Amino acid sequence: MAEVKNIYKVQDQKLKEAYFTAGQGQLIWARFKKQKSAMAGAFVLILLIMSGIFAPFITPYEPTIAGRNETYLNGAPQIPKFCDENGCSLRPFIYSFERTRSLATNFRWETEINRDKRRYVQFFVQGSEYKYFNFNVNLPGKALDFRVPGLTFNIHLFGVNEGQIHIFGTDATGKDIFSRTLFAINTSLAVGTIGVLIAFVLALAIGGMSGYYGGWIDSFLQMLTDAVRTIPAIPLFMAIAAFIPDTWSAELRFFFISIMLGFIGWPTLARRVRTHLLTERNQEYVLAAQLCGASAGHVIRKHLLPSFTSYIIVDLIITFPYMVLSETALSFIGLGLKDPVNSLGVMLQSVTNADVMLNYQWYFIPVIVFIILVLAFVFVGDGLRDAADPYGDASK
Amino acid sequence: MYKFAQFALVRATMAVFTMIVVSFIVFSLMELVPGDCAERYLAFKNTQGSAISIADIENERVRLGLDRPYMVRWGDWIVNAFRGEFGDSCILRVDISQLLGQKFWLSLGITLSALVLSYSIAIPVGIISATSNNPYLNNSLRLVSYLGLALPNFLLALMIMLFSTMVFGDTLTGLFSNEFRDAPWSFARAMDFLSRAWLPVVILGWSATAFAIQTVRALMSDEIGKLYVTAARARGVSGGRLLMRYPAKHALTPIINSLGFDLNRIFNELPIVALILTLTEAGSLLIEALARSNDQQLAGAIIFMLTASIVTINFLTDIALALTDPRIRRSIIG
Repeated sequence: MAEVKNIYKVQDQKLKEAYFTAGQGQLIWARFKKQKSAMAGAFVLILLIMSGIFAPFITPYEPTIAGRNETYLNGAPQIPKFCDENGCSLRPFIYSFERTRSLATNFRWETEINRDKRRYVQFFVQGSEYKYFNFNVNLPGKALDFRVPGLTFNIHLFGVNEGQIHIFGTDATGKDIFSRTLFAINTSLAVGTIGVLIAFVLALAIGGMSGYYGGWIDSFLQMLTDAVRTIPAIPLFMAIAAFIPDTWSAELRFFFISIMLGFIGWPTLARRVRTHLLTERNQEYVLAAQLCGASAGHVIRKHLLPSFTSYIIVDLIITFPYMVLSETALSFIGLGLKDPVNSLGVMLQSVTNADVMLNYQWYFIPVIVFIILVLAFVFVGDGLRDAADPYGDASK
Repeated sequence: MYKFAQFALVRATMAVFTMIVVSFIVFSLMELVPGDCAERYLAFKNTQGSAISIADIENERVRLGLDRPYMVRWGDWIVNAFRGEFGDSCILRVDISQLLGQKFWLSLGITLSALVLSYSIAIPVGIISATSNNPYLNNSLRLVSYLGLALPNFLLALMIMLFSTMVFGDTLTGLFSNEFRDAPWSFARAMDFLSRAWLPVVILGWSATAFAIQTVRALMSDEIGKLYVTAARARGVSGGRLLMRYPAKHALTPIINSLGFDLNRIFNELPIVALILTLTEAGSLLIEALARSNDQQLAGAIIFMLTASIVTINFLTDIALALTDPRIRRSIIG
């Protein structure tokens, strides 16, 4: 009996030891794992990010006008089936169709499904080419140009043996909505990442100076931060976005919008960095470093920042959905990204049409994907915030 | 009293400083727009058939005072802006204060109502959610407040419009029905306005409410574990009386402080919601000014007025707080 107790004691001791010697990352992960909603959010988020990254492989067609299907404009989603009244098949199939349009149908395309003619879904089919790790940089001056050819593939996850398959339907120009949605996730995430990174660097510089030096520098920078914070962000975005000349290419527009989001998004982050720094800068280890003759930059970078890295990461993740939302709102009113670039906002734009609302409801599928994406980010951010809070365990 | 006057003065100075910084940002943005008022005006004249030369543009610049240095023009603009005069719109050629006048106050009214609505829901709900131990209630409230973020206002507006077109056959757009649009204010017009204004108020209040519930809940659950609450409970105070008299009073003070920023968040959404619901009377004028016609004078004026109302509200809430709480007076002066 005593032995058994002893074993438990040893185990308990080991657990405690593991707890006290665990790094911050391990502790956060242990606490994060306990929250079901956050874990579910993380799972969905990873799934969405992966499908964004591997969009060229997963999607059957190109999201641009090059991948359009002229025979199936405004087409309804084609859901693959295994069984129908003509018998079952192990390989999923869709039906082929006839489309007509006349005065009788009010010039809207009417689709007549031919249930006797099946189109079988095939996997790992060859299709349009896409590239990974392909960079083409054209800077002024020949010497600065560089090209990386990258890797070219043409295998897509699925396709059909004849015609095309559109599991989310097609839009007015015949582009596959499924392909567009996945590429849009990619774009929205890229905009968010660039925006958050710029906001983060600005926030670190301004919040860092403000919190570390205190005094009048702090007061001045705080007033500046407050001034930027008081201007309503979206009207300001709109004002700036309206200055983009129409001649800019889609890519240039994309970079400009992301950079702009960063330049307006920093004040909230800067405030948090400042608060963290204000509480930390009076600690003894900072004084010790200062007495050793370390410069301000060195103290901030090497001693202060590592003390709250986890908080900063959490803040970044919480800021992320706001960036995506801002981009969406901007593109939605037509001031953000424009058509050849697929972003969620661009896709939402087409939903406003009354014709779409009444007749082509599958345009709303990207809306659902968008809501899921933002929800996943919010759940993960919230879970991380709870997990990173050192006082969270004290009450348990 | 002396202390209070000092506090009010410091606060007022800070508010004016903020407005000056904001006006500088806004003015610089206006300047960054390619082309200026003179060119645009003459381009318009050109379409009317009169020939325009470079000299004409220069003359127009001198007439509008655009040849003066940047800082002088900024100073001029800001002095006029504080007086409520923004000059003429570049495109529409009308006095901006006249153009905005009533529209701006209507927008502000809608935004403020959305703010009031959101807190009148959020305060009781937030307190209940912080005090209750019911996991289902808490989780569903959490989901709703997350949806407030994930389902942005413009999507909600779209959904409601889709629904109302399909069910009622009416799109519920606009702030006035046709017969009242240009009528002078009367009781009937006010009723008409109210029968239509509730929709934008509800839509704008939606995400604001979700956000406010989270704030109230967080503040309340911080406060509720404190010792003075336990002490009060030990003295036999309980139920709603306990909550309202002790923790709620403390938890709600920071909210008053952030009202200005809440208003900012609602203002943010206004132009887009206004665009969907085609509220020509409200924020969609801003989109019109920016996206369609590139009217920098008008856009600048709108952003300036928006920010001015937020700064004013921040100032007023600070003063109100300082009147009730002596600790705040001290904290600012230091």
